[in-house]
Amino acid sequence: MAMQGGTALQEKVSRMLSRKHKKPVLKPNKPLVLKDEVANRKIKKGEATCVTEMSMMMACWKQNNFVDTLCSNEMQSFYTCVEKAQIAVKNKSEQHTIGQSGRLQPKQATILLKRYPNLHVEI
Amino acid sequence: MAASLTGLLKPWTPRVLLVRWSRYNPYYLEPEPRKEVYHIPETELTPEQKEERELKSVRPIKAATNSVTSSVFNDPVLSKFVNMMMKDGDKIIAKGIITQTLENMKRKQVEKYHKAPEGKKAETECNPYAIFHQALENCKPVIGLASIQKGGKFYQVPIPLTDDRRRFLAMKWMITECRDNKHRRTLMYEKLSQELLAAFSKEGNVVKRKHELHKMAESNRAYAHYRWW
Repeated sequence: MAMQGGTALQEKVSRMLSRKHKKPVLKPNKPLVLKDEVANRKIKKGEATCVTEMSMMMACWKQNNFVDTLCSNEMQSFYTCVEKAQIAVKNKSEQHTIGQSGRLQPKQATILLKRYPNLHVEI
Repeated sequence: MAASLTGLLKPWTPRVLLVRWSRYNPYYLEPEPRKEVYHIPETELTPEQKEERELKSVRPIKAATNSVTSSVFNDPVLSKFVNMMMKDGDKIIAKGIITQTLENMKRKQVEKYHKAPEGKKAETECNPYAIFHQALENCKPVIGLASIQKGGKFYQVPIPLTDDRRRFLAMKWMITECRDNKHRRTLMYEKLSQELLAAFSKEGNVVKRKHELHKMAESNRAYAHYRWW
């Protein structure tokens, strides 16, 4: 069944490439061969983390003319926020690599495809 | 024929001896050089430490580098500073400069201690290692700037820095400032001790550079939302 599907696709491609009736639909400059890898799709663009803490710290700096000792509270809260954000990012990336929700991650798909690559030399 | 046979009689040694690679299989664990960790009795270990010990008994461990010792004088921050000051792999000169710097700082502080009035004597810090660490802390920037492209233009966006990056910047600024902006005839240890003592009391060019970075970040705080992490 897959073979029949395969030959039908090849016939359609050859029809699209042919110059018999009209201009060819496809004019490929490279051979029509699939690559042994999948493109890495990036997850949704995140937002800037810890902006509120940063702005509070900067306001404190502005008030105290950039003396660090008077702003130690704000700086401490900024550091804790940054640490939490880093841990969150790590957990999120871990969760993505482990739980795929029914779909392979692009890196895993690439590994599998590389194990069984397209033959370009006749064995 | 006799010459080749005698050559084969020697015991075989590899031509390239393994000392300590820098690239290890991620399976290998880091070594623990500090003695205090091994002196904790079994009962006082937390469950995580017990787990770590179990893991270390089965996993292979990387070889420790030559610069790491289990003595009380081993300071990772100081070792990192020595490595950053080193030129052309000449660790002896760099370590010599650092020891001279520490001695010089101690001398200056002891002089100040003896000249200080009775009330202020307890306040003068004489331990050069403590001065070094405090000076480095005072030089570390809190936020840094990153060049982020948005709509064809590059903006300097304030970003939070990791601890390693902050430490590196503090050390780098200290070394470059001592190398470039001082009088030609002063020796490096003198320049370093002056700069470290100034940073300890939050004066000097390195702390000024840190403040300038903070001011730049503060002036660019509107672009903070251009970050995506």
